[in-house]
Amino acid sequence: MEIKQDIIHSDEHSTNTPILKIDHIVKKFGTHEVLKDLDFSVQKGEVVCIIGSSGSGKSTLLRCINGLEKMTAGSVYFHNQKIGKDSKSINHFRSQVGMVFQSFNLFNNMTVLQNCMTGTIKVLKKDKEESKHLAIKYLKQVGMAPYINAKPEQLSGGQKQRVAIARALTMHPQVLLFDEPTSALDPEMVGDVLKVIKELANNGLTMMIVTHEMAFARDVSTRTIFMDQGLIAEDGTPDEVFKHPKNARVKEFLSRYINDTNLETEHKKKEA
Amino acid sequence: MEKGFFYWIVQLTKEYWPYFIKGMWITVVIAIIGTILGFIVGFLIGMLQSTKVSEGDNITKRIGLSTLDWICRAYVSIFRGTPMMVQAMVIYYGLKMGGASISAFSASIIVLLLNTGAYMAETVRGGIISVDVGQLEGGFAMGMSHSMTMFNVILPQAFRNIIPEMVNMFLTNLKMTSELNVIGVAELFFVTKTAAGTYYRYFEAYIICAVIYYILCTFFTKLLSSIEKKTFDKKDYELAAEYMNLDEGEKNGN
Repeated sequence: MEIKQDIIHSDEHSTNTPILKIDHIVKKFGTHEVLKDLDFSVQKGEVVCIIGSSGSGKSTLLRCINGLEKMTAGSVYFHNQKIGKDSKSINHFRSQVGMVFQSFNLFNNMTVLQNCMTGTIKVLKKDKEESKHLAIKYLKQVGMAPYINAKPEQLSGGQKQRVAIARALTMHPQVLLFDEPTSALDPEMVGDVLKVIKELANNGLTMMIVTHEMAFARDVSTRTIFMDQGLIAEDGTPDEVFKHPKNARVKEFLSRYINDTNLETEHKKKEA
Repeated sequence: MEKGFFYWIVQLTKEYWPYFIKGMWITVVIAIIGTILGFIVGFLIGMLQSTKVSEGDNITKRIGLSTLDWICRAYVSIFRGTPMMVQAMVIYYGLKMGGASISAFSASIIVLLLNTGAYMAETVRGGIISVDVGQLEGGFAMGMSHSMTMFNVILPQAFRNIIPEMVNMFLTNLKMTSELNVIGVAELFFVTKTAAGTYYRYFEAYIICAVIYYILCTFFTKLLSSIEKKTFDKKDYELAAEYMNLDEGEKNGN
């Protein structure tokens, strides 16, 4: 830990400033400490997968980063700028950092197209024509353009999630946060969504992905963080974390996933 | 021989139908205007009460919001805690005593709107709470402000959820206007009272009155439910054909 922090501090002085800096975040729910002094940075272009068992604080971390959850202590820096606590600076920060939720959170009162135009019109103040153009562009990218007139309730989970990703992309986010994007989907649909995320990773979009899909995390991430009981138990390249975990807890967790991981890899081969 | 039930029904109707019609008209107008204005008041308060202050907001905003919140609570509590008939008396004679020249008709609308507003505030708050919190977070995550998300996402859904309750409220109001006879507004009940008093035929007069209320309520129930159905019935969507081929082309390309 000590050494890692030194690296972060030296980063600040170099020209390569981190796009996101999580500065000693603590989050308590009552007396329960969910996040225990987390401190790390994310560089531009990194695809950070955050894995770990349920209740380890992964989702809470993402929610604290974009202010959906109030942190007890600590702060977030975006391009070395501290994010203020007032709604104006939080909103401005959020407009540059997208989030995709486990439960999609598409606006139920709007069609797919309206869902993908709201942010650009209301927040970025773009005109209708440009917003529509952007919406269609990203809906095409996720393969959902034919469904522009559908309401969320008329779509399957996988389709909803792809629309949600398109909606986030219309905002041209500099970082995209994924909170268990495939956990609410049936296995057949998981593949479609992961494929879309993988494409984004290949395009160099900075992402933080909380996921239980181990094979996906290993293949897509440039960096894997293993969280355990509110702490970072392991932080390194996917190779380091998956093949040579140092932490005993990580070893135990991953050994349980080995069978699943093999299955998933096979499934993927079939798909390809 | 004493004249029978039907004789008096016919007699009263013949003699007083213009008054009944006028009373009915006033009842409907008070109910519609009072209810709509009450809905607006209710929506404003319901929205205000579900606004949360964020940590970094400045002190003026915080104090302003909490003062408004206190006023709203007091208002809702008072108007839900007293009978409308009493409110009518207090407001009408209170305004008169204060030197305001106000007609019984305008006072009726004010009373009804204040009463409706107090009940609607709670209904709207309930409607807002009933919308999944994820909808709010979906808006927030894109950088939409609280009020932006409220107006574009939450309220339309809350509105949809509370329409049955709003219809209920309107029907209740349609009948509650009868209480306003105490301040002398010539609505249906007041008119009936006059008609009944002339010949001391209370039973027959109020039967006519009841039938008119019943017809009014049935008519508005049918009307409002057909509007609701037409507006909100699920419609099948059509695939946008212009983007279909492109998608397949892209898929094949991959």
